[in-house]
Amino acid sequence: MTTSAQTTQPNQAIAIDQHPLTGHAMSGADVIVQVFADQGVEVMFGYSGGAILPVYDAVFRYNATHPKDNGDEPMPLIVPANEQGAGFMAAGYARASGKVGVAVVTSGPGATNMVTPVRDSMADSIPLVVICGQVSTVAIGSDAFQEAPISNIMGACAKHVFLVTDPAQLEATLRTAFTLARSGRPGPVVVDVPKDVQNTTLKFHGTGELALTGYRARLRAVEQSALSDADCAAFFTALMQAKRPLIYAGGGVIAASAATALRAFVDTFGLPVTTTLMGLGGFDTTDPLALHMLGMHGTAYANYAVEDCDFMLTLGARFDDRVAGVPDKFAPRAKFIAHIDIDPAEIGKVKSVHWHHVGPLVRALERLTSYGRAHGLQPAFDAWHTHVAELKRMHALNYDRSSALIQPYAVLEAINRHTDGRAIISTGVGQHQMWAAQYFDFRAPRHWLTSGSMGTMGFGLPAAIGAQFAHPDKLVIDIDGDGSIRMNLGELETVTTYNLPIKVVVLNNVGDGMVRQWQKLYFKGRFAASDKSLHKKDFVLAAQADGFAWAQRLERTEDLEATIAAFLAFDGPAFLEVMIDPDAGVYPMVGPGASYAQMITGDFIASRAVAVTGEAAPSNMF
Amino acid sequence: MNHTLSILLQNEAGALVRVAGLFAARGYNIDTLTVSATHDPAVSRLTLSLQCDDAGVAQILQQTRKLVDVLQVAHPATALAA
Repeated sequence: MTTSAQTTQPNQAIAIDQHPLTGHAMSGADVIVQVFADQGVEVMFGYSGGAILPVYDAVFRYNATHPKDNGDEPMPLIVPANEQGAGFMAAGYARASGKVGVAVVTSGPGATNMVTPVRDSMADSIPLVVICGQVSTVAIGSDAFQEAPISNIMGACAKHVFLVTDPAQLEATLRTAFTLARSGRPGPVVVDVPKDVQNTTLKFHGTGELALTGYRARLRAVEQSALSDADCAAFFTALMQAKRPLIYAGGGVIAASAATALRAFVDTFGLPVTTTLMGLGGFDTTDPLALHMLGMHGTAYANYAVEDCDFMLTLGARFDDRVAGVPDKFAPRAKFIAHIDIDPAEIGKVKSVHWHHVGPLVRALERLTSYGRAHGLQPAFDAWHTHVAELKRMHALNYDRSSALIQPYAVLEAINRHTDGRAIISTGVGQHQMWAAQYFDFRAPRHWLTSGSMGTMGFGLPAAIGAQFAHPDKLVIDIDGDGSIRMNLGELETVTTYNLPIKVVVLNNVGDGMVRQWQKLYFKGRFAASDKSLHKKDFVLAAQADGFAWAQRLERTEDLEATIAAFLAFDGPAFLEVMIDPDAGVYPMVGPGASYAQMITGDFIASRAVAVTGEAAPSNMF
Repeated sequence: MNHTLSILLQNEAGALVRVAGLFAARGYNIDTLTVSATHDPAVSRLTLSLQCDDAGVAQILQQTRKLVDVLQVAHPATALAA
């Protein structure tokens, strides 16, 4: 993708608005760093290499010549063990801060190692700007050393990719990349910059973006769309007739910073709230009207509430297969489903709805709240609230509390007693991820960092590192599994290199627990490639080798409380491996291709129907 | 059934790949495809046809509109019927 020749140039005659460097000559690499500074970038993540050296040198010079008052670098460049780590650090930073995460890598393998975090961020709508070095324009297409067709590869994964072949377009392209990343439905934008473009001397403008008339027109239409009186009236007519309304809130509540508007809406009209994995923290999980997470491994009470509701308001969520595995049977008693989203393509994609609005979530919620208040609409849902409270009491999460083996749930409950829903929690992917989603409280947005849609093992440790840079003073805990942490184990050293006080927990069940759970259910217990009992790694020694001064293994239930207290109290990086019951499962479970009515709740959570027993039929569902 | 779509996009190397890639990634085979510059050399018109049900074509239209370098997407048959 070459960049468009058209740029928008606001009136530069007004000297007061002019950038102090306007008209200055600087290299393309310096232009990149200056635009970063202008965009408020406070940290970047990346690994060096031949095709990105001019940018790295420009970062070095910028940091040396612009120290902060305390002498710190204004834009530190954090070096991971592998570019995938840099991508997930940038994503962790973006998820925890709400700002655009920035990663800078070299061409070829540096850029292809970045594909997974870019796709992961696309799937979870996380704003990133990724700069990839590229071989010089004259060498493109010649199978040069460390050349890869990044615009082709990333074009299929990212929100957008630019290949800057015209140096004159570099500055506007970079500024546009930030706009694209954060506007509308956020996502990752990749800018592929050939080395000769980085070395070209350019005149800095200090302003201007690419025209992108199609994108901007569509964005403007979405951002300006407002709920009419008729829209509000139709919504409230249905709500006033409802007896059992439920809000199903997704990651869009977090991305749109709509938690406060959601709180006000719920306080006014009294609808209980369940959130998706991505929506955790969008509504305080300790609230009486909070039903925690719904879906494949949602709480039984949330899933029963979905079964029981007669009205559903879907906010920034997309009925994906982990929530609505069988769309026709999802919320089967809902007579009215409303859907608000920023992305027009999500309306009706999976499930057709009765009422929808495409637009900014905060404005839509505030409009509905004020319309309802102005018209004195005060629905009474007391009986439904009683029912919801009863569901929460009867079908609460539970596990074998008398087991001699350490139960993973007990570990998470113990940590949660210390953190009280106020720590930033990141995870890998698998059983430990679902247990963490279920057993932790989340009182506010951007405290829960997890690879939701892509489900990328290895996400947790680098995401925690990025989050700690976003919030140096907050407690950041990586809840990981033995399989997941192996995937980016090299980043343990990054934690200690930068002396980040991250707390790393490995729930070790000697294998890929979620895969084993499915193999038990669907493959007669044949644990193909998921058993790791022959693996020799001593995680505690590995952490010590990487410089963790506090690294311990927890093996006895009687040591649990004291060990966790000491672990969390340690002032600095700390690593805790917990040998858990290898047979602990994730319950409830709505199997792939099953409806909520077929939910299995396991041996310790009360089910309100007798679940169908026996081995499930082979399925193509995933 | 057969659907014909008309897409205006920025005339740049790579834009065509993006559109074709989107259709492939979402499981649609493009049966016919014509691309040419319009009276504005910065803009090209892409006309393609594919086999797809009505719900599928509505969704692929929406997904195509999310491509940053796409200016306009039209489904002339729907426009005529409307």
